[in-house]
Amino acid sequence: MSTSVTSSPQPQPKTQRPTKPRHGAKSLAAVVLLVAITIWAGIGVQVDLPAIAANWRNATTNIIQLLQPDYGFFPKTIPALLETLQMAVIATVIGSALSLPLAFLASRATNPRPKLLAGVRFVMNMIRSVPDILFASILVAVVGVGALSGIMALVLFNVGIIVKLVSESLDGEDAGAQEAALAAGASWPKANRAAMLPQILPSFASQVLYTFELNIRASTVIGLVGAGGLGILIDNVRSFFRYHELSLIILEILVLVLVLESLSAWLRKKLV
Amino acid sequence: MTVQQPNPTARPVKPTSKLRTTLWLLVSLVVVAAFWSVDIKWSALADFPAQLIKYVGLMLFPPDWSKFGEAFMATILSVQMAWIGTVLGIIISFPLSFLASKGLAPRAVNAPLRFIFAVIRAVPEVVIAILILSVTGLTPFTGALALAVGSIGTLGKWGYEAFEGVDPGPKEAVRSTGGGTLALIRWGVWPSAAPEVLSFWLYRFEINVRASAILGLIGAGGIGKMLQDNVQFRNWDAVGMLLIVVVVVTMVIDQISGAVRNKLIHGTWRAPRLAS
Repeated sequence: MSTSVTSSPQPQPKTQRPTKPRHGAKSLAAVVLLVAITIWAGIGVQVDLPAIAANWRNATTNIIQLLQPDYGFFPKTIPALLETLQMAVIATVIGSALSLPLAFLASRATNPRPKLLAGVRFVMNMIRSVPDILFASILVAVVGVGALSGIMALVLFNVGIIVKLVSESLDGEDAGAQEAALAAGASWPKANRAAMLPQILPSFASQVLYTFELNIRASTVIGLVGAGGLGILIDNVRSFFRYHELSLIILEILVLVLVLESLSAWLRKKLV
Repeated sequence: MTVQQPNPTARPVKPTSKLRTTLWLLVSLVVVAAFWSVDIKWSALADFPAQLIKYVGLMLFPPDWSKFGEAFMATILSVQMAWIGTVLGIIISFPLSFLASKGLAPRAVNAPLRFIFAVIRAVPEVVIAILILSVTGLTPFTGALALAVGSIGTLGKWGYEAFEGVDPGPKEAVRSTGGGTLALIRWGVWPSAAPEVLSFWLYRFEINVRASAILGLIGAGGIGKMLQDNVQFRNWDAVGMLLIVVVVVTMVIDQISGAVRNKLIHGTWRAPRLAS
């Protein structure tokens, strides 16, 4: 079509259509690559639909049990539920207290030393690439089973997130007041404290609440490796195949997460 | 309130709100209560720094590379699990997110689908995995299935948000030339939403790579299982090596996926910088 336009004897119209870039070969190669990866991965994980079909009778009894939560089990879950909440609250407080100074070290706008900046950012990237449960499983081995190892794992997880989010918003803040403070002879920490900190506080508060929401979820599961909270209970009932109780715990998690998330979202609107 | 003199240099009085003060008090109260009531021996913290140095020394100085081959294969299995989980999740969520978009399907279809996505998102992935694994048994494939179900919640939501957010111009053009819903999706919605949606898929793959390591901890195989076994037998130098493998593999995959996402969104192959 474009050739007919260019070869036409009429004067060139100004709004000539640009020719469509050709991606045919490239897209084909990409699709072939993706299919190849998928087949390779499928062989690796041994995709086996007949086995699932064969397991179906066993599965249906489990599903029926899961659909009938045992509400009588609820009183026994209360201590674990409380521990989950305590872990989430404490970890949020400690994690955010540690993160605030670190965020200033991790932002280009507030840290004038490039080497220290790169170092802090690299360590934060490392911390973020380890899943929270992994931290928990190692800390359980180091400090023992219970809420303390869970809180520590959550604190590490929180520091990774809050430092990233807050340092990114520091990067985007207006640096005028800070420049003025520096020009008037303030040291970097003083200039940051007086000029940058007040700007960042609302976004910091909102990130803290967001992290609290993440912690509620995380604190329900890190117990699976022994770090306290509802997770320990999940692990117990799961190893004894008590699916009535398992489904009650999952229901509790669902309600807990939904209630606290809407509460936190509301608080964020009111406080920030 | 005192009557304010018209003084231009006077600082305005900071407004206070009773609600905010009460809320701050309540929040502080909850925090204090949590610290006060939690069942922890805080004295254990005193020797934590020494313990930490000791264990980091045991794990990383030096790590035990003799099982590296096994660890590498286990990592590959984890990544394969994540890939199959993501592909299955995409296959299921892709049509569903069209059905959940306002304007592309009736409201009666939108609402329940959005509710299902929200419920899946509310439950932590590991819990979904436990639910599914308790029905299907523990194999890498069922692990992948669990990841797929977990992916539906986020992929579905990101999908319909992207489809609803597209520029209305092309959609109107398709409608005005008599196109049906399928033509609307193919020519009015998909071309503008595609880069964003593809990059969400990749992002979900990154999340699933992390989640697949976790699924191993509860027994679905892969690197997580190997890690858990070595932690239980307190082979600290092997644990150190496995941690390095997990961190490096996660970072490498994030880099590759980040580069592809940049290509999709901005048109250039640029990997996210590690220390930036």
